[in-house]
Amino acid sequence: MTEKKNDKKKILVIEDEKDMSYAVTLQLEAKGYEVITAFDGMEGLDKARMKKPDLIILDLMLPKLDGYKVCRMLKFDEKYKNIPIILFTARAQDSDKKTGREVMADAYITKPFKPAALLDKIQELLALS
Amino acid sequence: MNRNPKNKQKKTAHAGTMHGEAMYKYKLLSYFMDNIPDVIYFKDRKGKLVLVNQAHAKGLGMKPGDVVGKTDFDFFPKNRAQRMAKDDMCVIKTGKPMIDKIERATRPDGIDNYVSTTKIPVRDKIGKIVGLVGITRDITRRMQFEYLEKEKARVEKKLEMLEALNKVKSNFISTVSHELRTPLAIVKQLTALIFDETAGPINDKQREIIKKVENNTERLKKLIDDLLDMSRIERDKLELRYSLVNLNDLLKDSADFYKTLAEEKRIDLSYHLPAKDVNLFIDADRINQAVANFINNAIKFTEEGGKISVEVKVLETKVRVGVIDTGIGIAKSDLPQLFNRFVQVSNTGGAGSKGVGLGLSIVKELIKRHGGEAWIESKLGIGSKFYFTLPRFYRPDALDKDVRDRIGSFLNKGISLQFINLIIVNYKEFRGRIKIGPAELFEDLKRILDTTFRGICRDRFKDLPVILTDVKNGKCSVILPRMREAENARVVRLFKDKIKSYFMGQKVESAFVNIGVSTCPSDACLPAAKRFSARFSVKEVYVGLEMRRFKRVLYKVKVKIFLPENKTETQQTVDISEGGLCFITKKLLKTDSRISIRLEFDKTRDPVIHTDGRVAWIKKVELLSGESLNRYKVGVEFINLKSKHRKIILKKIKP
Repeated sequence: MTEKKNDKKKILVIEDEKDMSYAVTLQLEAKGYEVITAFDGMEGLDKARMKKPDLIILDLMLPKLDGYKVCRMLKFDEKYKNIPIILFTARAQDSDKKTGREVMADAYITKPFKPAALLDKIQELLALS
Repeated sequence: MNRNPKNKQKKTAHAGTMHGEAMYKYKLLSYFMDNIPDVIYFKDRKGKLVLVNQAHAKGLGMKPGDVVGKTDFDFFPKNRAQRMAKDDMCVIKTGKPMIDKIERATRPDGIDNYVSTTKIPVRDKIGKIVGLVGITRDITRRMQFEYLEKEKARVEKKLEMLEALNKVKSNFISTVSHELRTPLAIVKQLTALIFDETAGPINDKQREIIKKVENNTERLKKLIDDLLDMSRIERDKLELRYSLVNLNDLLKDSADFYKTLAEEKRIDLSYHLPAKDVNLFIDADRINQAVANFINNAIKFTEEGGKISVEVKVLETKVRVGVIDTGIGIAKSDLPQLFNRFVQVSNTGGAGSKGVGLGLSIVKELIKRHGGEAWIESKLGIGSKFYFTLPRFYRPDALDKDVRDRIGSFLNKGISLQFINLIIVNYKEFRGRIKIGPAELFEDLKRILDTTFRGICRDRFKDLPVILTDVKNGKCSVILPRMREAENARVVRLFKDKIKSYFMGQKVESAFVNIGVSTCPSDACLPAAKRFSARFSVKEVYVGLEMRRFKRVLYKVKVKIFLPENKTETQQTVDISEGGLCFITKKLLKTDSRISIRLEFDKTRDPVIHTDGRVAWIKKVELLSGESLNRYKVGVEFINLKSKHRKIILKKIKP
């Protein structure tokens, strides 16, 4: 683990639906996380590289660059592959989960989700890294 | 042609030597005219009939001689005769033939038919038109045929259109449902934040309101999910995720939830589960959905103070799950259509207006896909019983008679044996999806077993296994005389691997094979060998999306693969099992091609393993995002792997 000035964990939320992003942000901030938001795939990728978050929540259907591509580009990059990624989608298709594994995402959550479920996943992944 | 008798006589007189030939031609022509069913006639310029054939006279109910000299006006209604005369005049005046004019006509016997008429002008020596020759054919049948053909084409086109429309509808429903889910998910997320008091404390009244909002969004979500499921079923896009599931656990998991729901309506909900656990090969989420549908229905249609019981009955080849209520019941006449789409039975009271009537049709499809059945028994005013069945593990100790006889005959001779019983559990459903025929499939399985056996017991060829197959029911029994128990365990392990690899090669995504193993020592079963009962230990083989088929060895083993044409490829990561390995490569290999493999375990003193392999299956690696990685997943089966090497691999892959 890297040493941080403040021990607030940074979470990057890449989600194009602004209201959904707002809901997630509200929830994470209430639990004491620092939240950075991005609204499309390109912005998300840039922010992931520049701000070095502790964890990324990534929507699959994104404008400019879809979630799978963002995930692959991060996971296949030595510098960023250790950042845990939670895939996040409204689709509950099994094939999505399969593809999620193929791009090496760490977890998968279907929207809408129970707030507790997301927080548990985040804690679990942060504890691992 | 139409010469007058005088001319004709002159001609015959003058013709001399031509006489015989002309006569012959005349006879042929008469024969033709009098036997053809078409109407043929000659008319002069005034429309008087000069010559008619038999068919024409017969049609008019007269003799040919009586017709000559008359006109159409003598036989046909005035307006028709006028039409015909007009045509005649046209041909005679213009000299242009009238060809294939189709018209409706009423025959003298009163039957309506279609006729085709051709009229050609007749000219004399100097080219002056002296009359006409006409031929009329009854084409009613041809017209009918053409009409039917046209109709058929029209209906086919319409069907095609409807099918296309249905597809558009399904796709539309799918798109719309996905679009509906997004805002709904946001609403749910935001209400959850208020309910959790993440956004600050709320009072009881507010909590009550938010709870109602939440319940209704949940209801909306269920409706949308049902629509999506239906469109998936229609587009054949429904995927099942099989895994081994304890049915008791599955039912118990949601019991508390439904008990609370039932208590709200003061309904007594009880569960009657079998004492012994039942393990099934099912998609847990989908079966949960089916059970939920039945229980929700029962609660909806049962009045306060009623009873609902959930019962599981374990039968020989299947498990029956029933939800039995003391509700209002369903009329017998409504039962058959209950599983149809969009059907809401009319006499179900006020509660019937809820939902869009998709639930049961989805349940039916889900159960069907699992190889089971769903049905309802009900009596109006007494209650309903909703049932579904799921195929169960084959009860391995129930053997067919001929298999028992074969085993008995060995035991009677004092020969001990090992026994393998194989059954494809989801055979019924599975047969519809596999490309090769069942007979071919079992031939392949037999071959696999044979090579496995030879691979392990190379030294003892004289006792070949006896293989009995039941192609119809997807069963196969193998008797291995004089086999030792330890050897048999190895055969079964390897057999399992090879079957998996075989089904992968056949691109079968979800086969569920059950292998039972039993030992029959000769002394234990004598003398009553015929009544022996074999106890099996059951080993299951799954080939499914969710199953890890091989243990993945990461960066610990270096595999050098010698491909055909003297090429080599070094792999760092492979999935390896006792029977073979699987790796991803950029090269496109051929199925069944032979390769050499060199396995080198890092940082250990284990020897390097050399073995041959056969490419059993190849799968293109693809991402859902449509990208193709241009890589292939290749499954390789070991050939002639030395037993000491097998032991090393076994040690490596066991945790």
